[in-house]
Amino acid sequence: MRKKTTVQNITLGVFVTAGLVILVVSLYLVGKNQNMFGSSFHLRARFRNISGLQAGNNVRFSGIQAGTVGKITVIDDTSIEVDLLVNEEMKPFIRDNSLVSIGNEGLMGNKVVNITPSRLPGNPARDNSLLHTKPDVNTDQMMEAFSTVGDNVEIISGGLVSTVNRINESNALWHILNDTVMTQELHLAVINLRIASGNINQLTLALSDVVKDAQAGKGAAGAIIADTAVAGDLRAAMANVRNMSEQSAVLLRHLDSLVGTIQNNIDKGDGLAHAMLHDSSMTGRVSRSLLQVENGTASFNEAMTALKHNVLLRGYFRKVEKRKKGSGQRDSSLIAN
Amino acid sequence: MSRFVFRYFSEVFRPRYEVGQFIRQCYVIGYLSLPLIGITGFIMGLVLTMQLRPSLMSYGVEAQLPVMVSLAIVREIGPVITALIFAGKISSGIGAELGSMKVTEQIDAMEVSGTNPFKYLVVTRVLATTLMLPVLTILSDAISMYGSYLGVNIKGHTSLQLYFIQVFQTLHFGDILPATIKTVFFGFAIGMIGCYKGYNSSKGTEGVGRSANAAVVVSSLLIFIIDLITVQVTDLLGLN
Amino acid sequence: MGQSQTAADKVITIEKLTKSFGTHQVLSGFDLELSRGESIVVLGRSGSGKSVLIKCLIGLHMPDSGSVNVLGNNMLALDQAELDKVRARVGFLFQGNALYDSMTVRENLEFPMRRHMSGVTPADADKRVRETLAHVGLEDTIDMMPAELSGGMQKRIALARTLILHPEIILYDEPTTGLDPITAREISSLMNHTKQTYNTSSIIISHDMKCVEQTADNVAVLVDGRCHALAPYQELARSSDNKVRQFFD
Repeated sequence: MRKKTTVQNITLGVFVTAGLVILVVSLYLVGKNQNMFGSSFHLRARFRNISGLQAGNNVRFSGIQAGTVGKITVIDDTSIEVDLLVNEEMKPFIRDNSLVSIGNEGLMGNKVVNITPSRLPGNPARDNSLLHTKPDVNTDQMMEAFSTVGDNVEIISGGLVSTVNRINESNALWHILNDTVMTQELHLAVINLRIASGNINQLTLALSDVVKDAQAGKGAAGAIIADTAVAGDLRAAMANVRNMSEQSAVLLRHLDSLVGTIQNNIDKGDGLAHAMLHDSSMTGRVSRSLLQVENGTASFNEAMTALKHNVLLRGYFRKVEKRKKGSGQRDSSLIAN
Repeated sequence: MSRFVFRYFSEVFRPRYEVGQFIRQCYVIGYLSLPLIGITGFIMGLVLTMQLRPSLMSYGVEAQLPVMVSLAIVREIGPVITALIFAGKISSGIGAELGSMKVTEQIDAMEVSGTNPFKYLVVTRVLATTLMLPVLTILSDAISMYGSYLGVNIKGHTSLQLYFIQVFQTLHFGDILPATIKTVFFGFAIGMIGCYKGYNSSKGTEGVGRSANAAVVVSSLLIFIIDLITVQVTDLLGLN
Repeated sequence: MGQSQTAADKVITIEKLTKSFGTHQVLSGFDLELSRGESIVVLGRSGSGKSVLIKCLIGLHMPDSGSVNVLGNNMLALDQAELDKVRARVGFLFQGNALYDSMTVRENLEFPMRRHMSGVTPADADKRVRETLAHVGLEDTIDMMPAELSGGMQKRIALARTLILHPEIILYDEPTTGLDPITAREISSLMNHTKQTYNTSSIIISHDMKCVEQTADNVAVLVDGRCHALAPYQELARSSDNKVRQFFD
């Protein structure tokens, strides 16, 4: 019986002690969080508005928990002095030119005092030194900024909506795509090319005649043919011509594929914005191709004119004209070609 | 009733002190209630955490879970739930025990044996409930916190260290001290009501049952009334 | 104190005792004297105030008026400490035994000893507990709980607890009520045995005529809150008074 009582007393003792230990430890931890124990030193800062800062709020130095807010005293109508209890171990790092501001722990959280070190060198802060403050970003201002941003977003999105509507309602774009004129132009360009290639054929025939004559040593041309300069000119001209015909082929292929794509896209009728992008670039490409084709034919014509005026061939062309008048056999065959 | 309370205070400090009986009552009332209160505390912490999680998630502040739960437990739920369970277990027990002692003349027998039954039965029990409920509440809070820690970790992951750092960063003296002090009043009320109902039990087994029942009902109600008053008082004192 | 010397053989003197609960007058001018070594049975109907009477003797009830003198002490004028001293010399056997449910037989017996007698060594206490249990014939129940015992055994243990302080007076509150006749007779003879062994005076509340016959030196009949008659059992048994006769018929 007596032994049982002793055991009971011991368990009771353990039970009560456990409760008390937990209480004391938790109070100690809470106290430690509030700098109740351990040495701390005081810093002061004066604010115009402390935006609801309370004694016991945290003090952070560059984001590190450094202490708590102590007494808050109203000095006069424009300044409120806040006493900051800062851990002694932070003392060497806080300089007297550090800036103090009041911020928030999160959007809805408690107020917090931030001590931000200055970039400029300064003396270590002493006990009770008064630090400079910088205006805080308080929630009200943040909300104001947010509302401005919101207004702007509203305006922008309104603009976007009307732009899209205008594009939607405009027929011009669809006109370009459905325009028959463009197809006709393309068609014309192709015809032009065919004529040009016909001309080239003619020219080559003429040239071969000239060469035959020269080989036979006929006329001035035959005499001069030995001259290498003329031969070089001729070769360059020939190269030009070949180049051109190659370019024409490439262009034709381009055009072909372009027409194919346009056809495809119109057939598929993809989303508006997509089609827009697609189509505008295509129109660009189409018009660029047309321009190139035009340029190509123009320079080809130039080359042809130049050939006509060439010293060597001038005679030939005259002869051709004469034969035309005299309705010679070779002439007629040339034209027929 | 007020005479009964007055008699308690006039006898509690007057020798002779029933130390042995007081310790025994502490053991019976305090230690033997620990399993019950521990289990309920654990479940409360766990469930509260799981219940709060969806609401906090909808605000995107899931990380505040330990903060919310610890505040709720330490300030209100821990003390009140512990006190209610304690009232259910202890107040009815005391009511029934003293009631049956009254009915079977054991209280009279004690008196003729040279013992002040009020001191021996009432003072020791009320003292024990007054002092043991705070201890039980603290332990229950601690167990609740552990339950809540497990609740936080059912979905999501928080280390024990981070959890306790968060909890103790949230808690202030204003959260712990008034909550602990009010459990002293809870304990006093529970013990007092139990003893009063038992000590003044009417004759017969029916009377015993009635006093046990009345003890639970009245002390549970008193817990809420005291809770209301202490909240007002701590508010007026600016302790929170 | 001097008074107790002059009336050496009067251990209890009750004069004009009145007691009422609310509007219900229970005792209205009760007189009784108990001499040393005498056993008086107070005979009365249920609810006639017998239990109230003996509870007034020991300070469990405070009478409204009258005087109660026990062992030379005016019970109405004592403070708590003095009252406890008197109570240590007066045993009280409760009707329902009033054994402490939460304690063993030994603890039940030690309880008044620890309360009334300071400086009892555990060995002394143990010896005395065993002695007293031997007197009631239940030595082997020493470590049992009261709930494990039969009604008769409980009654004996209760008597043992009353006897453990060697009281000069024992007040019995319906000692045989609720017991079977055989057990009742055993208890009655145990009461007589106790009276001889410990040389006690006693007031016995009862309406069990067998017990009354067995234990009473004198019988007081309590009717309407007064002591209606006081005489030896045999004398009362021959009485023609209706109020007395109702108990014997």
